[in-house]
Amino acid sequence: MLDLKHTLGDFEDSLRNTRKSVLTMASFAQQNLGSAVNGLLQRNEDLCNDAIAEDEEVNGLERSIDQGGMEILMRFNPVATDLRMVVAAMKISTNLERIADQAVNIARRSRKILKKGHVAETALVGPIYEIASGILHDAIKSFSEDDPALALTLFERDVELDKLHKRAIKKYTSLMEEDTENLRTYLNLIFIVKCLERVGDHAKNIGEDAIYVSEGTDIRHIGPSALEEDEE
Amino acid sequence: MVTAQRNTNMHSIPNQPSSNKTSSRDLTVESEQEGNPALIEVDNLSFSYDMGKTDTLKHINLDIPENKVTAFIGPSGCGKSTLLRCFNRMNDTIPTAKITGGGIKIMGSDLYASRVDSILLRKHVGMVFQKSNPFPKSIYENVAFGLRIAGERNRSTIDHAVEESLKGAALWDEVKDRLKEPALELSGGQQQRLCIARTIAVQPSVILMDEPCSALDPIATAVIEELITKLREDYTVVIVTHNMQQATRVSDRTAFFYLGELIEYDLTSKLFTNPSIKQTEEYISGRFG
Repeated sequence: MLDLKHTLGDFEDSLRNTRKSVLTMASFAQQNLGSAVNGLLQRNEDLCNDAIAEDEEVNGLERSIDQGGMEILMRFNPVATDLRMVVAAMKISTNLERIADQAVNIARRSRKILKKGHVAETALVGPIYEIASGILHDAIKSFSEDDPALALTLFERDVELDKLHKRAIKKYTSLMEEDTENLRTYLNLIFIVKCLERVGDHAKNIGEDAIYVSEGTDIRHIGPSALEEDEE
Repeated sequence: MVTAQRNTNMHSIPNQPSSNKTSSRDLTVESEQEGNPALIEVDNLSFSYDMGKTDTLKHINLDIPENKVTAFIGPSGCGKSTLLRCFNRMNDTIPTAKITGGGIKIMGSDLYASRVDSILLRKHVGMVFQKSNPFPKSIYENVAFGLRIAGERNRSTIDHAVEESLKGAALWDEVKDRLKEPALELSGGQQQRLCIARTIAVQPSVILMDEPCSALDPIATAVIEELITKLREDYTVVIVTHNMQQATRVSDRTAFFYLGELIEYDLTSKLFTNPSIKQTEEYISGRFG
């Protein structure tokens, strides 16, 4: 982070507001995801309804961040870290909007599950959510606190999330054969863990953007090794 | 403060160590690192305006590649125009100015060797100034002036050179029917392009531009910028500019100067997206200067 402020106060304010909006949006996305999953685990339909209703806020923030970013590009012609921050903010907002959409999908599937009887294996969603929400939390933290080292930890954690996701799908698929009475519930649970796996991917994208802001290196599709190459 | 170091490989630009974080290299421009050979080599140059009491330029090392546009940026008084004027020995006209260390080579020849004729040098290293300065003569005579001074007497040769130079400066279509009219009747942007035509009429190797668009409106500026990108095909261009966006639009490489020192020199795309030196970033992003 740079110590000095911009000579143009308006520029400084616009950049600060953009960061603030991204963090507000992230907070909504995290909250909606938590509501959707807790609605399922606690069999609380109101929480599911909250996740669906709050999605409008997230959509509005995505539009507002894009509009603010475009205005900064047009008015102030940012360069270097400022340019990378504005571009990353716009990309992060897209990922956050998709995460909130996944929360809505989870909430809708959960409401269907809640209409049926409880199945014990619903609990498998809990650990998967813990990892996905942890990745999301630290991705946002790496952006807000300019901490690329934290962002780098997300890659291994996403691999762990993928493993748990595959294991859960295998389990639910076999249960669909054994317990045909709850077939629809297991199918919905498969969709839910798939949504959480996608949340992990979007959160990892946010971590990549945080690294781009801090280091100026685009590690997408290359992975952390891109940073090592830069150091050579 | 980190001073840019000469890279022993003349075909590439210096790589700067990072001041405050992991050194990074822009992977997307890796292929561009294979640049053109250096046409101008600045080797540990120090320069003073007051007989060596204080150095205005301090230990500058810089290779300027052939057929590229190199931009010099930095706050007022940082020495960028001084260095530009060293390239065609314009500072020779100041009695107390002197090189206090190092030197400059153009095409391998020492620019400040005693045998170098500074008048002849300026035929090879032309200059366009901040304010257009056409002579109080016709459009034709302005462009023909350098050729006549060089001893050219053949009318058809001069006609041809005038036409080609005006075409090269993107002015021919606008003035071809009024070549005998006074140059001072042209608009500011046209006068500046006339000065560029006058510069290229003598077929220099290098064109130096000292804030060539600072007195022009946005349209005239765009025309000159378009011209600069075309001039690169035949000439090596060095431009001093206070306009960061202009540097990003027209230049291949950018050098940032501060208080007489070269702070950072890199590909323009790299310097404006991910500068290696914190001081560069603070300046280009408007945090000081």
